[in-house]
Amino acid sequence: MTGSGTQTAAEKTPLRVVIVEDNSADAELVLRELRRSGFQVSSEEAQTAEQFRRAIRKSVPEVVLADYNLGQWRGMETLEIMRQEGVEAPLILVSGALGDVTAVECIKLGATDYVLKDALARLPISIRRALEEKRLREERKLALEALAKKAEALTISNQELEQFAYVASHDLQEPLRMVASYTQLLAEKYKGKLDQQADKYIGYAVEGAVRMQTLIQDLLAFSRAGRPGTEMKDTDCNFVVEGALRNLQAAVSESGALVVYKDLPHVLGNAPQLQQVFQNLIGNGIKFRGGDAPLIQIGAERRERDWWLTLSDNGIGIPPEFADEVFVIFKRLHTRTEYSGNGIGLSICKKIIEYHGGKIWVERQEGPGTTFRFTLPALGEETAAAVHKNQESKDENHATSLVG
Amino acid sequence: MNAENGEILLVEDSQDDIDLTMHTLRRENLANNISIARDGEEALDFLFCRGAYAQRAPEQLPRLVLLDLKLPKVDGIEVLAQIKADRRTKIIPVVILTSSREERDLVNSYNLGANSYIQKPVDFDQFRQVVKSLGLYWLVINHRPMSVRGAKQGK
Amino acid sequence: MKTTPQVLLVDDNPADLNLASEALEQSGRPNRVCTVMDGDEALAYLQRQGKYANELTPDLVLLDLSLPRKDGRAVLAEIKGDPILRKIPVVVFSTSQAAHDISLSYELGANGYVCKPGNLHDYLLAIQSITDFWFGYARLPRKEER
Repeated sequence: MTGSGTQTAAEKTPLRVVIVEDNSADAELVLRELRRSGFQVSSEEAQTAEQFRRAIRKSVPEVVLADYNLGQWRGMETLEIMRQEGVEAPLILVSGALGDVTAVECIKLGATDYVLKDALARLPISIRRALEEKRLREERKLALEALAKKAEALTISNQELEQFAYVASHDLQEPLRMVASYTQLLAEKYKGKLDQQADKYIGYAVEGAVRMQTLIQDLLAFSRAGRPGTEMKDTDCNFVVEGALRNLQAAVSESGALVVYKDLPHVLGNAPQLQQVFQNLIGNGIKFRGGDAPLIQIGAERRERDWWLTLSDNGIGIPPEFADEVFVIFKRLHTRTEYSGNGIGLSICKKIIEYHGGKIWVERQEGPGTTFRFTLPALGEETAAAVHKNQESKDENHATSLVG
Repeated sequence: MNAENGEILLVEDSQDDIDLTMHTLRRENLANNISIARDGEEALDFLFCRGAYAQRAPEQLPRLVLLDLKLPKVDGIEVLAQIKADRRTKIIPVVILTSSREERDLVNSYNLGANSYIQKPVDFDQFRQVVKSLGLYWLVINHRPMSVRGAKQGK
Repeated sequence: MKTTPQVLLVDDNPADLNLASEALEQSGRPNRVCTVMDGDEALAYLQRQGKYANELTPDLVLLDLSLPRKDGRAVLAEIKGDPILRKIPVVVFSTSQAAHDISLSYELGANGYVCKPGNLHDYLLAIQSITDFWFGYARLPRKEER
C-alpha cells in the first residue's frame, strides 16, 4: 500500500465515509484513490437523498464526499439532511468543473472543501485537513466548556464566600453585643467591689469584646465592598474625592492636612465604592503622618484604555518588604498603641479596584512618604458597551441580593 | 428663609415659635438644614413638589416634619392625612408640635399615623427643652428611612 | 393625672429583655415594664386575651424584628392595621441596620426605629433618649381612648 503523506493513528481504524454519487464508476475511483493514499475505508454509497439519510442514520460518517450535481438533486442538499438528522461531518464536494464562483459559494454555504474529479490526488490531503480541523474544534470546545465550568465554580465559590462573610459577621453581631454589653455592665456594677484581679479580668474581657465588634463590622464592610451587581457608570473622580474629603473633614482640619488634586478624569466605575477607596487612602495619608502636616497629592495619567492614578503622601512610609502585604486583610504594620485600626482599609481598596478591573500597588520610591498607584478603566464607548453587556449577564446570574 | 434641601420641614405659622425652634435646633447642633412652611398649603406644595416647589425633586424627602395643627389655608390634620396617605411620603416621620390641648386632636393624629404628638409648653425654657429632646431623639437616636422600597436607590 | 407609663418589650432574647429592663429602670423616668418573647404573645397581650385579660394597654411598645414564628414585621403590620391598636406608639428596636428593614417598618406604620447600639454606653443613652422623649415630652393617647 503506497501512502501519500504520513499515516496518523486515526487512520488505523477504518475511515467511515459516505459517498454520495449517482455514477458508480466515479465512486469507485474515489475509493481507490483513498486506499492508494493509505486510508482504510469503510464506505457507504448513496445515490438518492433517501439513501443518504438512511446511511447517516445507520452510522455517523466521519466525512461525506458528494458530487455537486446528482441529476435530481444537488450534493449541497446533504448539508441540510445532515442538519436535520443532527449529524455533523465535513462535506467535501468531489465534482467536475465547478467554476470558482460556485465553489466559493459552496464553501460559504457550509461545504468544507471541493476537489475536482480530474485532480483526485488532492482528495486525501483535503480529508486529512478536514479531520484535523474537526479534531481541533472538538478540543477547543471541550477546553472552553472546562473554562466556563471553572469560571462558574469560581463565581459560586466567591458568592458563597461573600455570603458566608456577610452571614457570619451579621449573625455574630448579636451574641457579641450580649458579651460586650454585659461585660461592660459587670465592669460598671462591680468595679471596686471585687478584688483588683477581677477588675483586671473584666477589663480585658471588655476590651476583647469591643475589639471583636469592630472586627466584625470591618469584615462586614469588606464583604460588601466590590460586590457583583454594583452599577458601573460614568464617574467623575473629582466629585468622588470631594465626597471623601467631606467625610474626612474632622481629620483634615485637625491635622492641618492639605490635599491637592486637579482635573481628575472621568472613569467607568461605581461612585460610592471609589469614594471608599479615596477615603481610605487619603485617611491613611493623614493617619500615618510624620512630623509635618500631611500633604497628599492626587494625579492621573492616561495610558491606553485606562487611567493610572497616583496618590502620594508625605507620611511615615511603608518599608518595601511589606509593599505587597499591606493589602492583606487585617495585616497591620504597627501595634495598637502606636496606631489604631484593624488593618482592613487597604484590603478593601484592593478588592474594589480589582472589581473595577484595575490593579493597585505601592510604588517604589526614594525618600519619605508613600505613593499608591491604581488603574481604573477610562470612559470609552467600547469599554462602556462591553461593561454594559457584562453587567446584563451578571445581573441575570446574580442569585440573591444581599442587603448590607 | 427656605433652604433648598430642607432636612427638617417645620410647618408653623407663629414667627416666635419658628425662631425659638430653629434657634434651639441650631444651638444644640441638631440640624442646620431647616425649611419653613407657614401654612398647610405651602407644606403640601413642598412635600408633593408642586406650586412654588415644583422644582423640588421627589426623592428629596425631609427626614422629619414638625407639624403644627392650627394652620391657615389647610389645617394640620388635613396635611397629616395627605402625608400618611401617599406611599412616597408616608414613611417620613411626622411629629405634631401643637399648642392644641384637645384630646380629639391627639387621638385623630395618632389614628392618622402621626409618629408622635407634642404639646408646646407655654414656658419659654420648657419649650426649648422640648425641642432639644425631640431633636436628640428624632435626629440622632431614631433612624430615618432612606427611601420608599422598590424605588431606585439614589446615586 | 399622669399614671406611670407602661412599656411592652417584645424580644425573644432574655438577655436583651433583661438589658432593656435594666436600662429602662435606670432611665430616671419611672415606668413599668412588661415583657413577651414572641409575636403571638405580643398580640395577645395587646388585645388582652387569655392570661393577659387584666393587663393595661401599654403606652409604648419596643419591638424587635427577629422573632420566632410570627416575626416583628408581621406583628407591626397587625398592630397598625387594627383600628383600636394602631394608636399605640410602636418603636422598632432592632439590631438590623438594613435600609430595607428600616423603610419597611416605616411603611408598616412604625412610630420610630432605633438600632440597638453595640456598646453599653450608647445603649443606655438610646434608652434614656427614648424614655425622655416618649414619657417626658410626647403626649400619648389616654388609655380610656383605646
